[in-house]
Amino acid sequence: MTFPTTIVCAGGGGVGKTTSSAALGLALARAGARTLVVTVDPARRLASAMGVQVGPMVQQAHVEPGLEGRLFALMPEPRQSTRTFVDLLFHDEPEALQRMLDNRVYRLLADAAAGMHEVVSLMLVARAIEETAFDYLVIDTAPSRQGLDFISYPGRLATLYEGRAVTWLSNLAKKNDSDGEVRSASGGLLAAGRRRVEALFGRLVNPQTLRDLAGMFAELAIVKERFAHLARVSEALLTGNSTRYLLVAAPSGSAAADVRFLARKLKRFGQRPRGVILNRSDAVVPRWLMSLQQTAMPKELQEALQVVGTEYEARVRAGDALTRSMAGHLPHVEAVRMPTLELRDPTRIVGTLATQFGAHLSMLTGWTATPAG
Amino acid sequence: MAASPHQPQAFPPLAPVVLVTGKGGVGKTTVAAGLAEAAAAQNGRAVLVEFGDGESGRRVLGASRVMHRVVEPTKALESSVARLLNSRLLSKVFIGNFAIKRMLRAAPALRELAMLDAVGQIADEAQGARVVVDMPATGHGLAWMRLPVQMRDLFGSGGLYELSERLVHRLVKPSQCSVVVVTLPERMVLQETLELCKGLQEEVGMPASRLVVNRFPRGLSPDALVQARALAATSDGNTESARRLVEALEARDAIRREALETLGEAAQWGIGVRPLLIPLAEQDPMASAVAQWLTREKAA
Repeated sequence: MTFPTTIVCAGGGGVGKTTSSAALGLALARAGARTLVVTVDPARRLASAMGVQVGPMVQQAHVEPGLEGRLFALMPEPRQSTRTFVDLLFHDEPEALQRMLDNRVYRLLADAAAGMHEVVSLMLVARAIEETAFDYLVIDTAPSRQGLDFISYPGRLATLYEGRAVTWLSNLAKKNDSDGEVRSASGGLLAAGRRRVEALFGRLVNPQTLRDLAGMFAELAIVKERFAHLARVSEALLTGNSTRYLLVAAPSGSAAADVRFLARKLKRFGQRPRGVILNRSDAVVPRWLMSLQQTAMPKELQEALQVVGTEYEARVRAGDALTRSMAGHLPHVEAVRMPTLELRDPTRIVGTLATQFGAHLSMLTGWTATPAG
Repeated sequence: MAASPHQPQAFPPLAPVVLVTGKGGVGKTTVAAGLAEAAAAQNGRAVLVEFGDGESGRRVLGASRVMHRVVEPTKALESSVARLLNSRLLSKVFIGNFAIKRMLRAAPALRELAMLDAVGQIADEAQGARVVVDMPATGHGLAWMRLPVQMRDLFGSGGLYELSERLVHRLVKPSQCSVVVVTLPERMVLQETLELCKGLQEEVGMPASRLVVNRFPRGLSPDALVQARALAATSDGNTESARRLVEALEARDAIRREALETLGEAAQWGIGVRPLLIPLAEQDPMASAVAQWLTREKAA
């Protein structure tokens, strides 16, 4: 299996990250790369703009003609994704699947407020790339500072599985339920400390929950190898040599601070941002606006033009400030300034943004066109 | 912000605890800080709760009477377990255990429960001061409100059950807790916000007490668009520029119109009296400006 090049887009909320991820995917597809766009924060309007549906399967996107077989999208629904993942994990074990679905601890994890969805989406990708060869993956992340936390989850889940922790937890759960002696994974000096923790555990949760917990681990043990394999593939996607992290910001709220935070977080994971996309950061007031400012026109239109002009000027100032801030805090990272798009139709927004990205494709993604012939 | 020309109809009062929720980037911190500032102006005291490093809240509050409480999620977990076990030391032992630690990392829901517990604690200590919580951007606002009931039903008995039950009574009750939803006028964001409002009413029984639309574009004279189209219809050198202006004015107009239509639909999901529209300004306003505006709108 050849690994695709992974581009991960991270940034705070409200910066246009999901749209940018889709546009980047489109730009790559136009350039000839077979590309899969994955969003973890799916919006139905974006899905329909790409001609796909929110759901757990990889689908061919339909944005514009001439891209047949090159652009694909995976937009899993947060509340469904764990179910999808469990379905694919327990594909050959229908009875274990049913027990799992009935398990109350599983149901708690399945509908958790945050965290699991990204990991599950990633594992869905891991499965998808086993079936189809892609040149590029563009992964959109959650619009917050916690958006990159999931980088370590697949690895952690894999170690949870492969290490002694699961055996210990599973024994712990059984011990508090039954009268039997627990066989610790390692006895002796550590046994006393472990017994104390077992007792604490019993004070926090009731026997039924412990039984459910033990049950859940027992079911997962049946598909342990598949689980660990998918977790490792996910981890490799995020931490591979050719993986690139792009940060996305816009001149509003805490977007700049979010990007700085995410850059520090990347460093802790042993990664660095390859580029920063600055959305809604017009470099200049558009020429059409400036030329109209010289034109005679009725009073109401004049006032309207003034309001629109002031807003554009404000955006340029904000864009300048953001660019300076990025240059100061992330001096070795190239920033790409994108203008505000006064378009409402999401398909046109994605298409126009993709054209803008096209000029910076090599810098942003490392894509180099293969010579013809 | 300019004073509204009408006499606003007063909203029903807010509960002692206010949770401000919405998608990332809509301006929750600005609105939360404004609500806290307005409460402090009315009653002398108020608390703004933030999760994470509290940087944005500090920036928006500026110099303020509002007490700024920043809750770090991992510490919140340690504190909640310490309260349950009646011992901070035991809590450290438990959470520090190699296997428990890994299990906790795999189940973010427990950390989130602890964060809600921290809010409950702060509310208990607040003694009458309004507590405004800038909810984290992660996780759907609805998921936060569902969590105590889910956890209560999951655990059935024991320490974590009691904690969940306590939170259901403390937070998932309209008399104790108000939910304020913040959104932007863009269609994609508004649609999702509507889904949130619907869910809050139907699934949790906590309809939004206020719906705040941030960065709402100023209205322009309808004559302007007519005039712009006329200009674009001429065939002098500026036709292309005029066409671009028409596009910009139409886009703006459409955003306003669609937003107002969508907000009209939102009314059926029990949102207070009417949506609040914070006008688009060059920079996001400071808490004091938002507070004054909210007070004038009788929404604080």
